[in-house]
Amino acid sequence: MNVLVLMILLPLLAAAVVVYAPARRAKWVALTGTLAAGLACLLAFFAFDWADAATIQFQASRPWLPTLGLELSVGVDSVALLLIALTVLLGPICVLASFTGITGKVKTYYAWLLVLQAAMTGVFAARDLIVFYTCFEFTLVPMYVLIALYGSSNRAKAATKFFLFTFTGSVIALAGLIYVAWFNATLVGYDPALLHGTWTFDIATLERAAREMSASQQAWVLAALLAGFAVKVPLFPVHTWLPLAHTEAPTAGSVILAGVLLKLGTYGLYRFVLPFVPDAVVEYAWLIAGVSIVGILYAGLVCWVQTDIKKLIAYSSVAHLGFCVLGLVALNSAGLTGAVLYMLNHGLSTGALFLMVGMMYERYHTRSMDEVGGLASKMPIWSSFMLFFVLASVGLPGLNGFVSEFLCLLGAFQAGDWGGAVGGTGLFTLGPWYAAVAGLGMIIAAMYLLYMTGRIVFGEYREPAGHHEHDVLPTDLNWREIGLLLPLAALCLGLGVYPTPVLRALEPCVDQTIAIVTGAADSGVEIVRGGETEPRLVEGGRP
Amino acid sequence: MTALLAQSALPAAMGSGVLAHYLFVSVVMFAIGVIGFLTRRNLIIMFLCTELMFQAAGIALVAFSRYHLNMDGQTFVIFVLTVAAAEAAMALALVVLLFRRSESLDAEGWSEMRG
Amino acid sequence: MSGIERVIQTIGETVVVGAQHGGGHLATVEPGPTWMALAPFLPLVGVVICLICALVPRLRTSKLPAWGTVASLAVAFGLILATWLSLDGRTLNVHAWEWINLSWGDGPGRALIANFAFHIDSLTVLWMLFVTGLGALIALYAVEYMEHDVGLGYCRFFAGFSLFVFSMSCLVMADNLLLMYLGWEGVGFCSYLLIGYFYKKPSAVAAAKKAFIVNRIGDLGLALGIMLIFVQFGTLEYGELFANERLLHYKDLALAGDFAQIPFNVQLIALLLMVGAFGKSAQFPLYVWLPDAMEGPTPVSALIHAATMVTAGVFLIARMFPIFLVSEHALPTVAWIGTITALLAATIGMAQFDIKRIMAYSTVSQLGYMFAGLGVLTSVGAAFHVFTHAFFKATLFLCCGAVMHGFAGQLDLRKVSGLRSQKGWMIVTLAMLIACLNLSGFPLTGGFFSKDMILAEAFVTPGFRVIGWILLLTAGLTAYYTFRVFFRVFVGPVDYEPGDEHHGEPGSFHPHPPGWAVNLVLAILGVGSLLVAGVYFVGGEHGWVGSMIHDSSAHYQADGTHAGTLFGQDPHTIMYYVSAAIGLAGIAIAWWLHYAGRTEAATCRADRLAFTGSRVARWARDKWYVDEFYDFLFRRPLWLLGQVFYFIDRWFVDGLVNVFGILPRLTGWAVRPSQSGLLHGYALGTIGGTAVLLLIVWLVT
Repeated sequence: MNVLVLMILLPLLAAAVVVYAPARRAKWVALTGTLAAGLACLLAFFAFDWADAATIQFQASRPWLPTLGLELSVGVDSVALLLIALTVLLGPICVLASFTGITGKVKTYYAWLLVLQAAMTGVFAARDLIVFYTCFEFTLVPMYVLIALYGSSNRAKAATKFFLFTFTGSVIALAGLIYVAWFNATLVGYDPALLHGTWTFDIATLERAAREMSASQQAWVLAALLAGFAVKVPLFPVHTWLPLAHTEAPTAGSVILAGVLLKLGTYGLYRFVLPFVPDAVVEYAWLIAGVSIVGILYAGLVCWVQTDIKKLIAYSSVAHLGFCVLGLVALNSAGLTGAVLYMLNHGLSTGALFLMVGMMYERYHTRSMDEVGGLASKMPIWSSFMLFFVLASVGLPGLNGFVSEFLCLLGAFQAGDWGGAVGGTGLFTLGPWYAAVAGLGMIIAAMYLLYMTGRIVFGEYREPAGHHEHDVLPTDLNWREIGLLLPLAALCLGLGVYPTPVLRALEPCVDQTIAIVTGAADSGVEIVRGGETEPRLVEGGRP
Repeated sequence: MTALLAQSALPAAMGSGVLAHYLFVSVVMFAIGVIGFLTRRNLIIMFLCTELMFQAAGIALVAFSRYHLNMDGQTFVIFVLTVAAAEAAMALALVVLLFRRSESLDAEGWSEMRG
Repeated sequence: MSGIERVIQTIGETVVVGAQHGGGHLATVEPGPTWMALAPFLPLVGVVICLICALVPRLRTSKLPAWGTVASLAVAFGLILATWLSLDGRTLNVHAWEWINLSWGDGPGRALIANFAFHIDSLTVLWMLFVTGLGALIALYAVEYMEHDVGLGYCRFFAGFSLFVFSMSCLVMADNLLLMYLGWEGVGFCSYLLIGYFYKKPSAVAAAKKAFIVNRIGDLGLALGIMLIFVQFGTLEYGELFANERLLHYKDLALAGDFAQIPFNVQLIALLLMVGAFGKSAQFPLYVWLPDAMEGPTPVSALIHAATMVTAGVFLIARMFPIFLVSEHALPTVAWIGTITALLAATIGMAQFDIKRIMAYSTVSQLGYMFAGLGVLTSVGAAFHVFTHAFFKATLFLCCGAVMHGFAGQLDLRKVSGLRSQKGWMIVTLAMLIACLNLSGFPLTGGFFSKDMILAEAFVTPGFRVIGWILLLTAGLTAYYTFRVFFRVFVGPVDYEPGDEHHGEPGSFHPHPPGWAVNLVLAILGVGSLLVAGVYFVGGEHGWVGSMIHDSSAHYQADGTHAGTLFGQDPHTIMYYVSAAIGLAGIAIAWWLHYAGRTEAATCRADRLAFTGSRVARWARDKWYVDEFYDFLFRRPLWLLGQVFYFIDRWFVDGLVNVFGILPRLTGWAVRPSQSGLLHGYALGTIGGTAVLLLIVWLVT
C-alpha cells in the first residue's frame, strides 16, 4: 500500500478502534496509532528520493467522480513530506500530553484527535484540488469538537468563532480554486454547447493551466485565495479568532492549532497562490508584505501587554507567521526557503511553548502571569525547557528559529535585487526597507517573550491563592513530560546548528517555484480544442 | 421520438382548437381552486381547493401531451396522481390532528409559526 | 621572573619572524589543520559536564562543574597558544561543518554560504588569547567565589560561563558574518542568563532583560549590515569579502579621499554595523544596560562585562576595517561617539558610590577610548587598549568581587575602609593598586602606553584634535575616580560595616579574607597587568599588538597625513609627558580629597566641597537621567501603544468581525414580521408573487 495512504488510514483505523475499545485503553490505542503513523513516516523518509525532491513522489490515485475529473490522488514533494513529518511528529506528542489533562469523555477526545491527524496529513498529501479542500475543511470539525467539548470556560464562543471565521474564508478560497479548475476546463477539449471542456482537479495540471490567466483574472483569484488562506495563517487583520481559540482550546488542541493548522494557510499560499497566480503575486507582493509587517509589529506590541500566557503566545504566532509570509512573497530563494523552514520551526517551537504552558496549567490551573510566577525555584526542569523554547522562538542563532527568520528577512531585503521578482513600485518596492521595519519585530519579540519569562520563570515564587498540590502530578515534570519535550528540543537544536539537510531538500522545490514565478518555467500546457493542438494566447497573459 | 410515435398505432395529434378547450377547463378549475383557497377558512375546504389546482395542472399536462404526441406529460400525471393520493392521506391526517387540538377547523386559529 | 621574560622574548621573536614570513596584510587564506577548530568547541565540553552534574544528584553537590569548566577552558587556552605559535603570520581557514548553504544558480552572489568554519589570523588569536586565558583564570576565581551556591545554581553558573566562552569564540573565530552573528547573539544570551543569575531578585531579572533587549537593538543594525554586505558583495565569508575587487577598488578611492564615487549603500554598511557595535560595546546611546548588568555575580562582570564581550564591538570594527574605511562618515562618527561616551561615563563614574558601578562606568568610558582609537584610524591603539584593559579591568572587578564577598555584599565605598591594614587582604590590595595604576595611566604601565597611542593619534589626525583634548580631560577624570575607590576602600583607617547579605547583629560581623583560589588568580592577573606593558616593547614598531594587527584585516597603513605635531614636538613623545602629568594630577586630587586626613569610612574632605552638594553633582549621581529619559521616550509610549493596539484589537478589529456575525441576525429581526404564521397570508404571498412574475414576463415579451 502507498505509504501516504497508510499514514492517512492508520490514524483513522486507530480512531475506529478507540471508539470500540474500553475507555481506559483509549489513550494507549491512540498512542499506538500515532506511533504507527510515525513509523510509516520514517519509512517514507527512507524511501523518498531526496535528490529529486521537487518531483511528486509516492503518487497514487483512484477515480472518484470521473465525469468531473475528480480523483482521490496523493503524492508529495519534499515540502509536503516535511510538513507531514511535522504533523506526524506532533501526533504522539499531543496524545502523550493529554494523558492526565483529559479525564472525561476520553474516547471521543482521542478519536477526534486521530481523525484530525488523518485530515491534516491528507491536506499535505493531496494532489487533487477537491481532496485538498475536503481535508482542509474537514480539519475544522475535529478541532471544533476539541475546543467545544474540552476547552475552558469560554469554549463555546471560541469554537463557534473559530469555525465560522475560517469556514467563511475558505469558502471564498474554494470559489477561487474552482474558478481555476473551470478556467482549465475551458482550455482543454472545449465544447461550445456545454461552455466547458474536460474537467480536472489535478493540481499539477491546474498549476500549468492557471498561469495562462490574464492579469485581472489572476488578481481576482489571488483575492479569493488570500481570503481563505490569510484567515488560516492568520494575517492581520483577520487574526482575531486565533487568540480566542488558543486560550480556550485544550493543550493538545493549541499545540495542533499552532503547530499544524496555521501552516495549512501558509502551505496553501505556497502550494496554490504562488504557482497559480504568479503575476498577481508579483504585482501585489508589496501589499501582502506590508500587511505581514503591520501584523508583526502590531501583534508583537499586543503580546507585550498580555497577562494571559496562552494569549501572549497566540498573538506571538500572528507576529511570527508574518515573517513567514514576508519570506514567501519575497519570491526569491532565501525568502522562500526561509518561509518553508519557518513553517516547520514555528510548529516545533510554538507547539512546544503551548505544551509548556499546558504543563503549568495542569499544576496551577491558571494561565495568568499575575497569579503564578517565579517557577524556576520550584520547577527547574520545566523552567529550563521553557527558557529553551522561548529562545528558539525569539530566534537566537544556533536554534531553529534564527535560520528561518534570518532567511525570511534576507529574502525581503534582497527582493528585487537578484534571484527574485520585483513587487510594487517606487517607494513601496519590496526591499531593504521592508526587512528593516520587519526587523523591529525581532526586538519586540525579545521584549515580550523575555517579559513573559521574567514573570513566570524568574522572580519571587508566586502561586494562585488556594493552591496546595498538583493533583496527580509531581512538582516538576515527570518522565512522560520530559520524554515528549526532548524530541522537540533536540529538533530545535538540530535544525539550528545543522539545517543543511533540510535546506538541500527544499532547494529543488524552491527553485521550481521561483522558476514559475519569474516566468522562466515553460508552462508546457497542451491545449486541445476540437481535436486540434494549438497554443492559445490569452490577452494580457503570457503566451 | 416523433418518428417512433408515427410508426406506432396511436391516433394523430389533436388540433390546437381542441387543445384550447382543454386548457380553458384547466384554467377555470385552477382559478376556482385559487379563489377557494384564499377565501375559505375551513381547512378541509382549503385542502380540497389545492386538490382542484392539482388536477387542473394535470389536465393541462395531459392535453399538451396529446397535442405534442409526447408521452412524458401523461407519465408525469400518473406520477402526480400517485403522489397526490399519498399526500391527501397525509394532509387529512394532519387536519384531523389539528382538529383534535383546537376542536375547530378554522385556519385562522393557527399562527404558531409567526416570526 | 626570568622565565616569563624568556617567554616574552620568544613571543617577540615569533612575531617578528611571523611578520617577515607573512608579509603584508590580507594574505591569501590557506586551509588550516583541523585541530585548530577544536578550541571554540572545548568550552562546550564544560557545558556538557555541568549538564550531567545537574542531572545526577550525586554529582550535583560536588565542585565538578567548576573544575570541568576550568579544565576545558585551560585546554582551550593551550590550543590557542599552540595555534598562535604555529600561525606564522598566515591567515588560516578551518572548516567544521556546513551550516546555512543556499544557492540559486551559478555565479557570484548567487549563493549564501555560512558554515561553521573558522578564520584564524593574528587578530583572531589576539582576541582568543585573552578570551580563553582570562576565561580560565576567572573560572578558577569563581570556583571559590560561587561556592555558596554549590548545587543546581553552581551548575547553571558554570554552564552559562562555558557557553559564553563558546559563543565568544564563535564571534571571534568565525569565518563568516553569520557565524559571527551567532556568537554575537550567543554572548548576549549568556550575558542575559548570567546577569539574571540571582533570578529571585527583581532587579537582576530586569537588568538581564534590559541587557538583552538593548543588545537586540544593536543586533538589528548588525543584521541589516550583514544583509547589505551580502547584497552588495555577494558573500559573507571574510576571505572572499576582503579580496572582493569592488571593495578593493572602493578602498583605493577612499584612500584617495574620493568618497563621491562610492555608492551610498556601500557607505551605509559601516554605519549599520556600527549600531551593532554600539549596542554590544555599550556606547552612547546604547550604554545603559552595562551598569545595570552589575547585578550579575562579579566573575561574570569581570569576564563578560569588562574584559571580553564588551570588546566585541571593537573587534567587529577592527575585523571590518576595510568596510569602515570606504565609508566617509562611519569612522568619524565612531570617534565622536566613543569620545562622548568616554566623557559622559567618566562624569557619572565620579559621582557613584557603588564600587562595582564605578567600575562599570569606567568600562563604558574605556570602551569609548577604544572606539575613539578606531575612529582616529589607530586600530593598533584600540586593540592594544583592549588587550591591556582586559587584564586590568578584570583585576579591578575581581578585587571588587573579593571585597563584596568578604563584606557580605558591601559595595558602598562609604562603608568600607582600610583593607590594607586588615589580615589577609594584602594580595587584593596590591592587585588593586596595580590595576588602578594601569587604569589611571600611571607612567610605564600597560594602560599608559595603550591610552597614549590613542591620544597621540587623535592629536595628529586632522580634524580630530578636539577629540584629543576631550580624551585627555577624561584621562584625568579617570585617574581621579579610580583612585577615589582605592583611597577610600583599600587604604586609610580601618572601618567597615557589613552588606545586606549579613544576617544577624552588625557587631557579630567579621570580614573573611579571600581564599587561595581568589588570591592566586588575583596574583596572576596583577602580575599580568604589570607585565602587559612589556608587549609594547617587543616585536615591531607598535609593539606586539601592532604586529598582530599588521597581519590582519584590521591593518591600516597610515600615510603622510598622520605626521602632525603637538606643541612643536612629535605627538607620541610629548603625549607621554602630558598624559602622565594629567594622570598624576588626578591621582593627587583623589589623594587630597579622599585620603588625606580621613578618619572614618563615611566622610572625607570631598564632602566639604560646595560642589559635592550641588545640583550638577546630583545629576551626575543620577546618571544624567538617561534611563528615565529612555523610559519616557520609548518604553512607556510603546507600552501605551501596545495597550491601544490591544484595545483596537478587541473592540474594532474583532468588533468588525462580530458585526459580520450580527448582520444576519439583524436582517432576520427586520424581516420577521413578514412571517405572520397565517396560512392565508402565505397563500396570498405566493399567488400575488406569481402574478407579479407573470405580469413581468408578459410585459417583457
